[in-house]
Amino acid sequence: MKASTEKKIFPYMLLLPTVVVMVLVVAYPLVYNFVLSFKNMSMYHYYDARFVGLRHYASIFTQTELYWVFGKTLIWTVVNVFLHVALGVGIALVLNGRVVGSGVFRSLLILPWAVPQYISALTWRGMFNHEYGAVNLILKNVLHLAPIPWFSDATWAFAAPIITNVWLGFPFMMIVALGGLQSIPHELYEAAELDGAGPLGKLKNVTLPLLKPVLAPAVVLGTVWTFNNMNVIWLVTGGGLPADKTHILVTYIYKAAFTYYRYSYAAAFSVIVFFLLLGFTLAFMRHFKVTEAVFE
Amino acid sequence: MKGRGTRIAAHVFLVVVTLVTVYPIVQIVGISLRPADRLYSTSLRVIPEDATGRAYYSVVFEKDFLLWLRNSAIVSAIVTLVGVALASTAGYVFSRFRFVARKFGLYSLLIAQMFPATMLLLPLYVLMKGLHLLDSMAGLSVAYAATALPFCVWTMKGYYDTIPRELEEAALIDGASYWRAFRTVVLPLAAPALAITAIFSFMSAWSEFMVARVIISTRTLYTLPLGLESLSSTFQTEWANYAAGSVLVSLPVVLIFLFLNRYFVSGLTLGGVKQ
Amino acid sequence: MTRTLRFSVFLISALLLVYAALSGCAKKDDGSIAIWEQMDPEEQKLLDARLAAFQASHPGVEVTRLHFETELLRTQFQTAGLAGGGPCLVFGPSDQIGPMSTMKLIRPLNELLGEEFLSTFVEGSLDTLNGLVYAVPDQVGNHLALVYNKKYVKDAPANTNELIAVARKNTVDENGDGVADRYGLVFNAVEPFWLVPFLGGYGGWIMDARSGPTLDSPAMVKALGFVRDLRVKHAVLPKECDYQQAETLFKEGKAAMIINGPWSWGGYIGAGIDVGVAPIPRVSETGLWPSPMVSSKGYSVNVHCPKEKLPVVKELLDFLTSDENQLESARKIKMLPARRTAVDALGSIGDPFLESSLAQVRLGRRMPVVPEMRAIWDSMRPAFQNVLNGETDPETAAAEMQKAAVESIAKMKE
Repeated sequence: MKASTEKKIFPYMLLLPTVVVMVLVVAYPLVYNFVLSFKNMSMYHYYDARFVGLRHYASIFTQTELYWVFGKTLIWTVVNVFLHVALGVGIALVLNGRVVGSGVFRSLLILPWAVPQYISALTWRGMFNHEYGAVNLILKNVLHLAPIPWFSDATWAFAAPIITNVWLGFPFMMIVALGGLQSIPHELYEAAELDGAGPLGKLKNVTLPLLKPVLAPAVVLGTVWTFNNMNVIWLVTGGGLPADKTHILVTYIYKAAFTYYRYSYAAAFSVIVFFLLLGFTLAFMRHFKVTEAVFE
Repeated sequence: MKGRGTRIAAHVFLVVVTLVTVYPIVQIVGISLRPADRLYSTSLRVIPEDATGRAYYSVVFEKDFLLWLRNSAIVSAIVTLVGVALASTAGYVFSRFRFVARKFGLYSLLIAQMFPATMLLLPLYVLMKGLHLLDSMAGLSVAYAATALPFCVWTMKGYYDTIPRELEEAALIDGASYWRAFRTVVLPLAAPALAITAIFSFMSAWSEFMVARVIISTRTLYTLPLGLESLSSTFQTEWANYAAGSVLVSLPVVLIFLFLNRYFVSGLTLGGVKQ
Repeated sequence: MTRTLRFSVFLISALLLVYAALSGCAKKDDGSIAIWEQMDPEEQKLLDARLAAFQASHPGVEVTRLHFETELLRTQFQTAGLAGGGPCLVFGPSDQIGPMSTMKLIRPLNELLGEEFLSTFVEGSLDTLNGLVYAVPDQVGNHLALVYNKKYVKDAPANTNELIAVARKNTVDENGDGVADRYGLVFNAVEPFWLVPFLGGYGGWIMDARSGPTLDSPAMVKALGFVRDLRVKHAVLPKECDYQQAETLFKEGKAAMIINGPWSWGGYIGAGIDVGVAPIPRVSETGLWPSPMVSSKGYSVNVHCPKEKLPVVKELLDFLTSDENQLESARKIKMLPARRTAVDALGSIGDPFLESSLAQVRLGRRMPVVPEMRAIWDSMRPAFQNVLNGETDPETAAAEMQKAAVESIAKMKE
């Protein structure tokens, strides 16, 4: 067979299995939800839902309190992802240098990822207990500070799940960054040193640009996952303490679907969230030119 | 010299970060040792005065822990293999070839991840029922592979991007087939990315609960997360058993990571090859 | 190229093969009867033994049990039902029959079981919607009561003034480090389920006969004020006290009294606490007894359960809710029976826990099973928490609850 024919067929052959799996599992549920969002499926119309047009979309966009919740969701996402990346990359850089017992550190530091999330989130909830929790006891007895009302103050109650989620999420970024760092040849650092670059210069001109191709997908998906992750908030704040003030957008979807059985409304809400995240992803990818190769 | 000071600072930093990271885990171990299912404690003691290892015995020998472990191991192994095989090939194509709908393909991989997952469960059930994959390891594996693939493909693609093309072009000029150039030149260089892909695929299956809950409804097919959940009820949860099970569940992950550790050590893999 | 081709063909055929092979193994309907439940661990053990006995006496019949957490049970049952599947029997608290019957997921049982069979259950243990029965109960209860540690409290307080006095006496910080060594009274003070008894004690209730919320009432204001005073004025209830903290304090002997339901009492005995149970005491101001919610738990039948299985299902339901089995549950896990004859035979067991429990049930009120309940809980929760945190006063909170509940119910029905 000719090499040119091979060149034409080869990529499609390699892609085919992935395409099959993704289309098989993903396409139907997505289409199902899009269709559902234009119907009136609810507890009262479970088997006999019919099309009602854009009604749910209109009702979502006119709920003004949701814009406030959207803002909170942004804070939740940005703070989490920023700290995940900063901590993950920072620790990876330190570990990638000469460190005594680096294998031990690496293995201990992935523990938050390894332990089932349910129990660790509840353990953190216990650590935030006002009177007996480890965090307040350390604040009081070691640092002589006033105990923090973690779950009666809306701001602190939002900080608690963020702290928990940073703890849960940084190991993943650390692993990705560690892997990515292995692709950077030492020669590039040596060359940069010859050009008179200091540690910061090397970080900015060598490490980060070469880390980008591996780190960018993790950052994009990390953002998407965090935006849609209500589990940690739900578990740590005991379902929205205080007074439902810690909810993010997905919580409203969850409640609409499972507390009130408003399936179509929840589907419409999900479609909106979907387009928000799609817009973010496209903008991010375009800005950082992630689909392009580095050495072109 | 600047070296000494920075090295000490680096170690102090690592020790502090590790202590903070490990402390909650130690608490979980504490819960597993507490009798009478007390999730919280009013003291800071790590090992309770009335500590007992009974929960570990109870989980392993009185529950179906070993069965759950077996099921989870099978599903996770399948998903890891499928994830690594498909992502390493698809990622390569996205990195090296320019073809119609390439960007579209890359972006559409991410689409499913953007949709709030809870809403996908109902149609997933309907779909799996239609495909006769309900209540089967195959159904679970396919669903997990689809969750893991987007990240894996993108990561592999990103890593290949950092490997210079000249390497395999040299091999092609020497008369190697595309497959051979990929297999013998590029793939070995991408070992760290393969390690990331492997551990991520593994974790997607190992710790997943919601999809398993929807697809599996036979007790003999329970995976570890389903088994652990069966220890909890609305008010009466067997906390000690739950915590003990959680500790046991995390051990294999740490072992696998120890095994993959060498791919994350600087200088062993690429270094000089890339010129 | 041959290798490429071979590899791709291999991958694709491998995928197809895995799919074909394993979908072949997917379970077909094998004639067995599945039960999905959300029982506590001890109940599950009893059920397993009963299912074994039933299968032994019915050769060829297979009954399987699958455990879920309560909310997941509902969700998963609805999902399966939409696709035309799911187990023949679903076991849960009575309030799940509201949504499930509205969705037409479970069938009315009047015809299948017959009025004669249904008349063997005590008044009020059978919940009806539009006059139809949707669940066969195997227990009545789920009610809150006052549990006290006999080391600190000799006799149960007779009214709320005494309750507060005993609680104050038992809230102590011996070493003065600002961390209480013992609290007087603990309970899950973030869930409105624990507020409802006092609402009744001040003469109010959550909804009227037409399922309309009646939350903005003087009784609600009083009840909210009462619980807030426990926290703020009397300081006998810890700050931010939730279910797990209340449990921990009581099990560690660091709380004199706790308000909790029958599901929890065994755990306290297991933790080595010498406990007594009594009805939540009369409200001093009104002279009324607090009215915790009482609900039954039982089995409902899936509409998709094949017709040919119904006769066995009927026998199984009769067996699982039989006098012997209900009395066994009463003896072993202190659950109150739902059959008349079993309730009458309760005295013969002579268990003080059961007697206190029964006394509390008789003072309680039925938990409504209509779907509107979910909106009401969801609306009460934030306002209740705001009162305890001092964010709002009881009057405002009561008005907020009512407004939120009315709005949520309207949205549910739109």
